[in-house]
Amino acid sequence: MFHRKVARLAASALAIGLLAGSAFAETTVNFTVAEYSSKTGPFYKQVAADFEKANPDIKINIEVVPWDSLLQRLTTDIAGGTPPDMSIIGTRWLLDFASQGVAEPVDKYLTPEFKGTFIDTFMKPGIINGKTMGLPVAASARAMVINTDLYNKAGVKPPKTWEDLYNASEKISKLPDTFGFGLQGKEIETDAYYYYALWTFGGDILRPDGKSGLDSPEALAAATFYKKMIDKGLTQPSPTNYSREDVFNLFKQGKVGTIFTFPMLIPQIKAEAPNLHYAVLPFPIQKTEATYGVTDTLMLFSSSKVKAAAWKFIEFTYQDKYRKQFDLGEGFLPVTKNIAALDYFKNDKDIAGFAAGLPYAKFAPVIANWEEIADTTVRALQQIYLGQVSPEDGLKAAAKKINGIRGL
Amino acid sequence: MNLSAGFKPLAMILPGLALAVLIIGYPIYDLGYASLHEVSRFGQFRGLNGLTNFRDVFQDPLFYGSLIRTVIWTFAVVGGTLALSLPIAMMLNEEFYGRGLARVIIMLPWSISLTMTAVVWRWALNGRAGLFNATLMDLGILKEPIEWLGEAHQAFTVEILIGILVSIPFTTTIFLGGLSALPQDSYEAAAVDGATRWDQFRHITLPLMKPFINIAVVLNVIYVFNSLPIIWVMTEGGPANGTDILVTYLYKLAFRFGQLGKASAISLIMFGVLMVFTIIYVLLVMRGEAGADAEE
Repeated sequence: MFHRKVARLAASALAIGLLAGSAFAETTVNFTVAEYSSKTGPFYKQVAADFEKANPDIKINIEVVPWDSLLQRLTTDIAGGTPPDMSIIGTRWLLDFASQGVAEPVDKYLTPEFKGTFIDTFMKPGIINGKTMGLPVAASARAMVINTDLYNKAGVKPPKTWEDLYNASEKISKLPDTFGFGLQGKEIETDAYYYYALWTFGGDILRPDGKSGLDSPEALAAATFYKKMIDKGLTQPSPTNYSREDVFNLFKQGKVGTIFTFPMLIPQIKAEAPNLHYAVLPFPIQKTEATYGVTDTLMLFSSSKVKAAAWKFIEFTYQDKYRKQFDLGEGFLPVTKNIAALDYFKNDKDIAGFAAGLPYAKFAPVIANWEEIADTTVRALQQIYLGQVSPEDGLKAAAKKINGIRGL
Repeated sequence: MNLSAGFKPLAMILPGLALAVLIIGYPIYDLGYASLHEVSRFGQFRGLNGLTNFRDVFQDPLFYGSLIRTVIWTFAVVGGTLALSLPIAMMLNEEFYGRGLARVIIMLPWSISLTMTAVVWRWALNGRAGLFNATLMDLGILKEPIEWLGEAHQAFTVEILIGILVSIPFTTTIFLGGLSALPQDSYEAAAVDGATRWDQFRHITLPLMKPFINIAVVLNVIYVFNSLPIIWVMTEGGPANGTDILVTYLYKLAFRFGQLGKASAISLIMFGVLMVFTIIYVLLVMRGEAGADAEE
């Protein structure tokens, strides 16, 4: 008897609870955040808490996912029918998201005033077929960083051209237990480490007609140059055993004269190798100046049922105080005009060194199947670095494969 | 044998069978369905495309490279594991001071996840900063640090050795279970007849251990054939796809390149290969046992 009463009570309590729930209609926005560093999660949680205080009817549910598993995570979420409402993604994936109808065009939400807060250069990669598919959330440009102590010890000047870099690396490599040039040879962005040379040698990832640029004379010259540096012992041995982080670690240990890197390394150097003296410089030039601009995108999912609420939160996160905290905390270059105008980005020698390249920055082409094309490039580079194929054969085969992937 | 007797055992395995069909059958049906369709990179089906996915797989040179390496990987790791585990199990089966501790130490690696083990080895094998080179150089064995994972053949060999290392605890456990069940009187009788330790091993231990060795072979082949973490963590199948096995290649296709249809096709092929292997092996074992029974 008693049990039945309890059960009935529980049932009615549940019913009331459900009714009450719908009366207050709390909207939940699911937001997948890519983890740039240990600061990313806490930062967005704090912004979300502030937002919830101002908008009690909207709840922001933040999920922090490491970069390495982000694409896999989103893929399985989408395939399983449970995608988030918004997410940070690599801009290089955006075309796939857009062409599959997964990303929602945001033009109708984007007021001219809000649009005006962004730096135009960084808006461009997110525009596909004339529609804005996402907003820039993080940006970086790459640059050359040299160990000035090693340069002084070897008695060489900071390089301006590739020839300079070669000669300097030769002298630095003669110092004990030291390598002139840190060359990345495996895992994420191995191709980017080559694009730096490709671009400054005057080549490009794609030709104007959309075909691969890897079989161009400039691409060959760049690859041959790297291979020559490996063969002459000017790089660390076996570059194919060195991921980006491995090369950067060598630099932090003071064992490498020159690396190509991103702004996020600077706070790491300051924390882990405070006695290391370094300088941030533009990439060496053969034919033209260039740098690699990389942006990440904040996108809305077309399947979301709470787009208006999500957009409200997006606008909230782009307030200057939050952007300042985010960019400075993570070591990014600003994507909004107000932050770019801060003294910090003009006066800080390191950040200014990276930002200097922005006017002539190149971005990864926004094309379908980019990951597979990048992987093909990496495979060719590894074969070249290992001496399994000649630079010419390796690049030609890769270009042919890439044209096949692109259906050209 | 009458019909009702034939039906009863069938009825008894029915619940288990139903569960197996549910757990194993559904994913396979799903894979089969995906492999015959064009699948977008986010898993949405875009219509039937017949055997195109399979044709793509069979036209892919990287598939054949991965297939060959999968065979090498499986045979080398399983073979090496068996060759090492049996002596270890026999040693641990002997009475000696501290045997309990020794057994625990052998089993310990089992409690650490494969991924963790692989991460630790990746660090240890780092050419300049790794502990492994540092130790060898301190001992005077090496003069110059070796980049263990810089070149494909060497990296693959190292990965096989680590694969053996992490498979030993499980296999040793199976063998220890088997050894403790062996009748001691056969050994005593053999010793009385003047059999050496080697004779005892060949004529008593090995034949009696056969069922345990068989189960170790089948289970290890299945685990090792499908094992992603070691290779993925240490080299991601690189450099230049030189350490890719089917499962790492499959993972790249599915989650990096978004070719879920092609990845499903490879999955099915892998399932087929494993099933054929298991059936052949079980048949061979059964025939062997039938032959042995006939001899007696």
